[in-house]
Amino acid sequence: MARVSMTTTPLRAAALALTVAAAVAAGWGGWSRYDAAHDASAAYAQARNDALAAGEQAVQNMNTLDHARLDQGLDSWEDSTTGDLHKQLVDGRDAFVEQIEAAKTVSTAKVLSGAVTELDDRAGKAGVMVALRVTVTAPEGEPAVKESRMLGQLTRTSGGWKLSALGQAPVGNTAG
Amino acid sequence: MSTTRHLVNRRRRLATVAATAAPPRTIATPRPAPEPLTEAGDETEASTGTEPGTEPEPEGEPAHDDPPRRRLPRLRIRLPAVLCAATLLLGAFAAWSFTSAGALRDEPSRQNTALTDIGRTSEVKGQITEAVGAVFSYDYASPGKSDLAARKHLTGKAVQQHKDMLAEVRAQAPKQKLVLTTAVTESGVEFLDGDRARLLVFADQSNTRTGKEEETTYAAAMFAVDAVRRGDTWRIAAIDTFTR
Repeated sequence: MARVSMTTTPLRAAALALTVAAAVAAGWGGWSRYDAAHDASAAYAQARNDALAAGEQAVQNMNTLDHARLDQGLDSWEDSTTGDLHKQLVDGRDAFVEQIEAAKTVSTAKVLSGAVTELDDRAGKAGVMVALRVTVTAPEGEPAVKESRMLGQLTRTSGGWKLSALGQAPVGNTAG
Repeated sequence: MSTTRHLVNRRRRLATVAATAAPPRTIATPRPAPEPLTEAGDETEASTGTEPGTEPEPEGEPAHDDPPRRRLPRLRIRLPAVLCAATLLLGAFAAWSFTSAGALRDEPSRQNTALTDIGRTSEVKGQITEAVGAVFSYDYASPGKSDLAARKHLTGKAVQQHKDMLAEVRAQAPKQKLVLTTAVTESGVEFLDGDRARLLVFADQSNTRTGKEEETTYAAAMFAVDAVRRGDTWRIAAIDTFTR
């Protein structure tokens, strides 16, 4: 070993320095990549995006219903929800079916914009606000278009983020 | 001792024969790169000046010097080769890891620091909430206040948008003695990247006519605003009312 280091020449020293430099770069790069992949705020950002995507889709589902395809629509409502909201939908399903079959309405919804207002990644809770345009078409008359300000609470389940509460933002009691 | 030496010498002789018998391998030894190393690094071998292939001289040397001398040429080939390979591998890994780390950091979800940057998120929320309340409120008794608010909180495209939106209110305000008040009820940051942000705003508007009979109507509003940070303050740069 001593002999090997004794035989170090400028060229060999340069080669060794180059290797060391490459090792340092590799170490730094490895650390940098690890850091990028395990960034806590990145995981949080991902949870935010997931919650928003699931929330927007769920809110849209909950405002979409075709009387001709009621079962499909109501299944999607139940798929989009969890907890008390889910229970309410299941309990009230039969009565609702009668109501919609009588009215023969078709509702479609379009998400205009959405934002996550709060996110507790660890507890698996999030709040979303969604600007929605809902079009309700009855058998007679012009389709009614209204804009909806939806506020939803999301809970993370094994099947992803689902709505645990949903309502319209109240109006009229804060201004003035 | 003599037996050991005898054995070693015999092995050495065999090795020499093997070395001469297979020239391609031994010729590989004095390649351009390792050659200068040999000369400067090993005085004995350089001074003897013998062909590396034949090497008859070590036989006369003491046996204890033999093993390291025999291993040395192999090390000389290996070390630069190993260094070269290691440099290439480490360099390749470094290049991959930096590229990959950069790609990860550039992911759109990370560019958006809404909620992940708690300070900035609440800062832009607070300032835009205040700005929206100020620019969308109008009192017929003090129209100057609204102009002042517009100058303070609006920039770019939003200036004209705001002017158009309030044109009707301005026209009717003196006659009907209008007082328009806007209060943000909910706001959420959709996107935040440095000095740019987009927020979704739910607001309540109360419109009070204090003319003959006092009458107040409420309206629900929802819109998105693009915000830019100038210095320490966030300003509204564009208003999106989701018109079809």
